[in-house]
Order: sequence, then structure tokens, then C-alpha cells
Amino acid sequence: MLATIIASGLATGAVYALVGITYNTMYATSRVMSFTAGQVGMLGGVLGSLYMIVWGLPLLLALPLVLASCALIGVITEYVAVRPVLKSLEQHLYVLSTLALSLMFQQVTAIEWGTEPRPFPKLFGLGTGIYDEKFWIPVIACILTIAGLEYLYRYTLVGRAFVAVAEDNYAAQALGLPERNLRIASYALAGAIGGLAGFSGGELMLAFFANGAVLNFYGFVPVALGGLGNNKGAVIGGLALGLFQQAANFMVGGIFASVAVFALFIIVLLFVPQGFFGSATARRV
Amino acid sequence: MKLSRREMLLAAASTVSAASMGLARPALAQTDPIKIGWLAALTGPSSAPAVGFNRGVVFAADAINAAGGIKGRKIEIITRDTQGDPTKAVNATQEMISQLKVQAVWGPTNSGESLAVTPILARAKMPNLHPCVVDTLIDPVKFPTSYRIAPSNTQWDDAVRNYTLKILKAKKVAVLGDTTGYGVSAANASAAAIKKDGAEVVYLANIDATQPDMNPDMLRAKNAGAEAIVCWSVSTGMLARLFNTRAAMGWDVPFIGHPSMSSGEIGSLIEKPANWEKVYAVGYKSCSYDAAGKLPAHSQELVDRLKGKVDLKDTLLWWVAAGYDAINLFAKAIETSGSTESAAITGYLNSLKKFPGYFGTYTYSETEHNGYQTEEVVMSAASSARDGAFTLAPGYI
Repeated sequence: MLATIIASGLATGAVYALVGITYNTMYATSRVMSFTAGQVGMLGGVLGSLYMIVWGLPLLLALPLVLASCALIGVITEYVAVRPVLKSLEQHLYVLSTLALSLMFQQVTAIEWGTEPRPFPKLFGLGTGIYDEKFWIPVIACILTIAGLEYLYRYTLVGRAFVAVAEDNYAAQALGLPERNLRIASYALAGAIGGLAGFSGGELMLAFFANGAVLNFYGFVPVALGGLGNNKGAVIGGLALGLFQQAANFMVGGIFASVAVFALFIIVLLFVPQGFFGSATARRV
Repeated sequence: MKLSRREMLLAAASTVSAASMGLARPALAQTDPIKIGWLAALTGPSSAPAVGFNRGVVFAADAINAAGGIKGRKIEIITRDTQGDPTKAVNATQEMISQLKVQAVWGPTNSGESLAVTPILARAKMPNLHPCVVDTLIDPVKFPTSYRIAPSNTQWDDAVRNYTLKILKAKKVAVLGDTTGYGVSAANASAAAIKKDGAEVVYLANIDATQPDMNPDMLRAKNAGAEAIVCWSVSTGMLARLFNTRAAMGWDVPFIGHPSMSSGEIGSLIEKPANWEKVYAVGYKSCSYDAAGKLPAHSQELVDRLKGKVDLKDTLLWWVAAGYDAINLFAKAIETSGSTESAAITGYLNSLKKFPGYFGTYTYSETEHNGYQTEEVVMSAASSARDGAFTLAPGYI
């Protein structure tokens, strides 16, 4: 039983962590918590199933196509739901605009793809039981994403420019950095990461329109637990959430497992409002 | 000509009395078509049943009209696509009552819409047949003009419980539902009835349909000693995961429950066809193959009539048969009573005893508007779909 809890807990946790990173990547350059993050994750699964099962494309072609499609969804989010409300960030209008766009993605998927879950293909056909690929593919995707982001932010010019914009938007603009283009690029990157979350977790969660709402919430929890903008925190928070949720599923059952997750979430926010790995920001008064 | 006040009053009084004596009633000798409203969720997420019902509806209306209609009057089916949306269903109902002036309404086809529409139909005294399972939709006092043509949820539950306890002879039962309102209430009602019948409910749980791993609940059910699992969910994803998990555990416990367990979508979600064995979903005697692979003679007659005209490959036979029966029942009511008046149609339905429809044998009375017979609800082998019908689950004679 313990092995099953760990295998499925780490797998779902890795998917949550990737959605958490999607939130963070979108937030970094815009200071906007975009509620399209979970829907992009859902689309990763749906488009993966569409390209591989319906269109019959091989994995090597389908995966880049999924990432590109989800990157495009990220860019659409920036243009439609983020850019128009950036000027009045303090009014938190982005909550409404990103939530509305998120619902649109969900409804269009429901109409075009259907409201019943559809199968997601076996990517490699490896492993059985707790070693089934559906449990370890999301974990590997999560490790590769974190490693890739570390490389991007530390060793590439574009990555450093992202960090500069995230650190101080106005100073970055004063230095001549193309802030708007960088923001679009970061939304495309976030879309691709979200798409990877859904694609890698497709065998576990199936290609299902309702996964968007689930990922929106459970992807947000690691961000809150790990600290806003902190990718490492999101990964640790996501994996911890996955393990806790699976353990609660085993110990107390479905409905109460959700209650346990909500309760933990609220308790953590009460005692550590900035998250475990976030830093409290000083505000000049 | 100048009318005096006395003459005017006399004329008004005679008009009122003529109307009250029934002279203004629509006579059947008219040649206007008989209008039957059809509230159908033909598009949208829950459109599959209505698409199937619609094939039976159109076939029945065409057959009646080809035979000369009802005493010379054609039947006109007025269809409104409600898209499964209660708001659209309410608007369509209002239009049917106040503008289109239909004589009867068939539908809606899902309980959410029906809950919104039934009180409106009752206020307008509109004869209504529907196939929705929620028990509270039938109440001869609150909704005296609404009749159910399919089983209620309680009748489904009775059939599932009888099969589990009497045919499979399970003494320890696990009951699972999803976390929707339907899943919770159906699982609780089912568990209570199983306990009442003397069996033990060793595990009762509601599972979030999006939960990716079903191991926790299946392990708990197994550890509790369940000999059968009764399942109430319309979520094909959750059901397929349960079947896959059962196979991965090497457990051969039977699943008995909701008709969704026989949905074609499950076939694409299970990891191998064997995972769908020993799964028994609610079905109907009239639309089930026996051990020799044959339908009951009366149902075969319908299938023969439909051949070449109605496709059964991508729908369920019971949907088509129930759609046919609904229109046929209204037609018989109008033909027998000789009137399109609400009271005449409901009067006929209230006196109906063992009406031999294709989907079921209907009996209604003033106090019982659930017309489908519980003994006609049976369990089907979930993976045995062929031309819209299923093979009877093992154990039936």
C-alpha cells in the first residue's frame, strides 16, 4: 500500500508541480496569477490524445506540436486576458479576465472534444504495477522542466532578461529590455510547461475537459505552499501535496481527502502566509 | 341594427354558457394536425439519448401519418433543441404552451431539465410523458399531467439490489458513488436498501470522478471483504479506472450498477477487453438478447420494422423504442378518447393497464404515474452491446 501511495502520489504531485510552475512563469513577468494555467494543462492531455490517437501522429511529432499549441494558448492568454488589465493591476481585474478566458477554454473543449473522458495513448508501453510509466513519466517531465528552467535562468541571456523583468519591471525597461516581448515569451514558455504537465500526466488523468478545473486548483496549492514565484518551492509543494492527497485517499476516502487538502492549505496559509519558501516582502509606508 | 343592453347581455350569457357546455372544444373532426411538442437535447454534452429517442419519435409519427393519421388528422412533431440546458428547456416549454399550442409534450430527456419544466407543464395542465429517472419528478398530486415512461431511480436500484443479493447471492457488498449530488444520494439510498434486505454493506464511499488513482477505494473494499461492488456513477472515466484497477489487483469481484457501465466509451478507456467482464449494468428485458442471442419476439418485430430506416449501430434500442412508445401512447390516447383535451388524454393514461409498448408494458392510474414495470428492469452484461441491445446478465431464466 505504501508503494502505491508513493508512486501515485509522486506522479499526481509532479503534475500539480508543473502546473504550479506554469502559474509562476506567467506571474514572473506580469505579476498576474493567470487562472488559465490548469486549462493549459488539461489541453496538453486533450491535444496529446487528439494528435496521437485521432490524427495518428508519432510521439516525436505529437509532443512538439502539443507544446507549440499550448505555447500559443499561453500567448493568447497574454494578449486577451492579461495585457488589457495590466494598467490596473492593483484592482485585481486579472482574476476576472483570466478566469473568464479559462472558462472559455473549458467550454470550447467540452463542445468540440466532448464531456466524457477519452483515452490517452501509452507513450512507451513500459512498466507494470507501481512501475507503470504513467507514474514515472510526470516525475521525469518535472525534473527535466526544473533543470531546463535553471539552465535558462542562469546560463542564457534570454533567461537572465526574464529574471531581470521579474525582479524589477521598471528597472529592466530603463535598461532597454523589451519587456513586452519578454512577457509574451514567458507566457509562451508557461503554456508549453502547462502543456507538458497535461501531456505527461495524460495516461494518469485521461483526456478530459474537467481536468482543467482540478489542475487550476491543485496547481495553485503548491504555489501557495511553496511561495509565489518560487519554482523549487512549487515542486516541493506539489510533490508534498500529491503524497498527502494520496495518503488521505487511502486513510479517509475521496470526499474527506479533498477536505483534508483544503484544511492543510488553509492552516499553512494561516501560519506561513508567504509560503514555506517565499520571502515576506517589505512594503514602504 | 341597434342592440339593446338586454340583448347584449343575453348574447354574452349565451356565449359563456355555450363555451362552458363544451361547444368551443376542439373537435376531432378537424383536419388540423395534432401537435406534439418534443423537448429534445439534440446537441450538447448529453445529447446521445435524445438523438436515439428522436429516431423512434420520427419513425412513430411517420408510421402513424402513413396509415392515415388519427381519424384523418396528421401528427405533427414540433421539436425544440434544448441542448440539455434547463433554461432553454423552460423557454421552449413556454413557447409550446402559449404560442405553438401543442396538445401534449414528450420530454425533456434528462432530469435536470425535467425538474425545471415539470411544474410549468403542470400549471398549464399539459399532458407530459418523459423518461427521466429522478423519483421526485413523478407526483400525481403536484404534477397530475406528467407520466414516466421509463423506470425511476428506485426501480433501477431495486433491480440492481435484487440481482446482487438474489442472483449473485452476495452477502457483503461495497457501494460506490461519485461525488455528484446524484452519486451521493444514489449510493446512500442503495446502501440503505441493501442493509434493509439483510445484507451487509462493508464499504460505502463517494469517489471524485477526476481522481486519477482508484487503488485506495478498491483496496479498502477488498480488505473489507466485499463480494460484489454496486456502483452509481455516470462518469465513464471513473468507471473505466475502477475496472482497470480491479484487473491490476487480480480481483474478480463483480460490478453491478448504473447503465453508464455499459457505455461504449468505456470500451476505449479500459486497458484490455477482459477488464470489462463481470460488469453488469442496468438494462431492460425488452431490449436484451437471451442466451441464444435472440431478442423477445415483440422487440424483434420493432427491429424488423426499423431495418433500413433507422440506424441502431450508434444508439441504444431502448431509446428508439421508448421514443416510439411515447408518440404511440399519445396517439392512442387521442384516438381512443376522441379528444385532444388535456383531461381526455390524462384520463386515458390513468386508465391504462398493461399497454404493450415496444420498450415496456405500461400501467398507469390516477395515483401511480410510474408506468414501467420493475420486473422488466434487468441486468445486462455491460460489454455485450450489439445493434443497440445487450445480452442478459448470467442467472436470469
